[in-house]
Amino acid sequence: MSPKVQRILVLGLVTAGILLAVFFGMRAAFAFREVRRHGPPPLSPFEAKNNQPAETDVELIREWMTIPYIARMYRVPPEILFEALSLPRSKAIGEKSLKQLNDEYFPQAEGFVMTTVKAAILEFQAQTLSAPTPPAPPTVIPAP
Amino acid sequence: MSDFLLTQIINYGAPVLGMIVFIGALGAPFPGTLLIVAAGAFARQGLLAWHTTALIALAFVVLGDNLSYGMGHFAREAVLRRFQDSQNWIKAESSFTRWGGMAVFWTRFLITGIAVPVNLIAGTSGFGIRRFFLYDLAGEAIWIFGYGGLGYLFGMQWEVVSEFLGNISGLALGLVLVGTGVWLGVRQWRIVAARNANVPEA
Repeated sequence: MSPKVQRILVLGLVTAGILLAVFFGMRAAFAFREVRRHGPPPLSPFEAKNNQPAETDVELIREWMTIPYIARMYRVPPEILFEALSLPRSKAIGEKSLKQLNDEYFPQAEGFVMTTVKAAILEFQAQTLSAPTPPAPPTVIPAP
Repeated sequence: MSDFLLTQIINYGAPVLGMIVFIGALGAPFPGTLLIVAAGAFARQGLLAWHTTALIALAFVVLGDNLSYGMGHFAREAVLRRFQDSQNWIKAESSFTRWGGMAVFWTRFLITGIAVPVNLIAGTSGFGIRRFFLYDLAGEAIWIFGYGGLGYLFGMQWEVVSEFLGNISGLALGLVLVGTGVWLGVRQWRIVAARNANVPEA
């Protein structure tokens, strides 16, 4: 390798490296700020015992998610979500992502599936929260 | 691509994740780190069993790495026919024998973008298969358990962690390129300085 080619190689490596490091370094700094802002959510006693989260923030729903997955995460009966979309409950439909469902069944209405699913979950959560708590069973005092 | 793969993982579980990391280890440009972090979150949600998923992913990714090492190994003769008399090749081969273990280890989880080329170079340069396997296993275990563990820890907020790790990987690659460039530059400068010192003055 001639000295000229070596110089070009060294210069190219250092330049590309600096560009990459600056670009990804800045992105990593922003991402780190986000990580610190969010922080790991605490493992609730329910979650720890049943390995089941009780997610409530519908803004975390993404287009790649499926109806059964969302139903599981938000502890909403899947029938409610299928009904809200006027779709029959089937394995094939349950394996499609929200984006696929939107493209196949509601191609004219962009974002319809996502909006409907979020609204159905919020409505279910509101109903569940406002439902009266059943009274505690009376304490049975054993006869002496 | 990542959206499609995430949907398949929530539908079919650990075997699909295993196949993805296996194909990724052979060179397909799949977002492996993102999927491993997501799988950790899915384990927290009770969708995947963390121990089975981690072991399947680890077994498949190590298998894929060793297969790409094998490709390099079988290409060795052709490469040697072309370069065996080249001083640069001999130097590169001896450097890889010396530093290859670290290259294999760090590219499993930190500088993942160059993991496949490192596998091929390891196979071609005659780096021992046992050493390759051990460094590979250690690095991939950190990738699977460490990154998957972060996904587990952050649950539904795993996307934030995945973005951070992806950028850290890019940053590490940039620093390695700068380091290599500086090292080559210093070496070249020393050679030129030594040559100039040996030239008798007129």
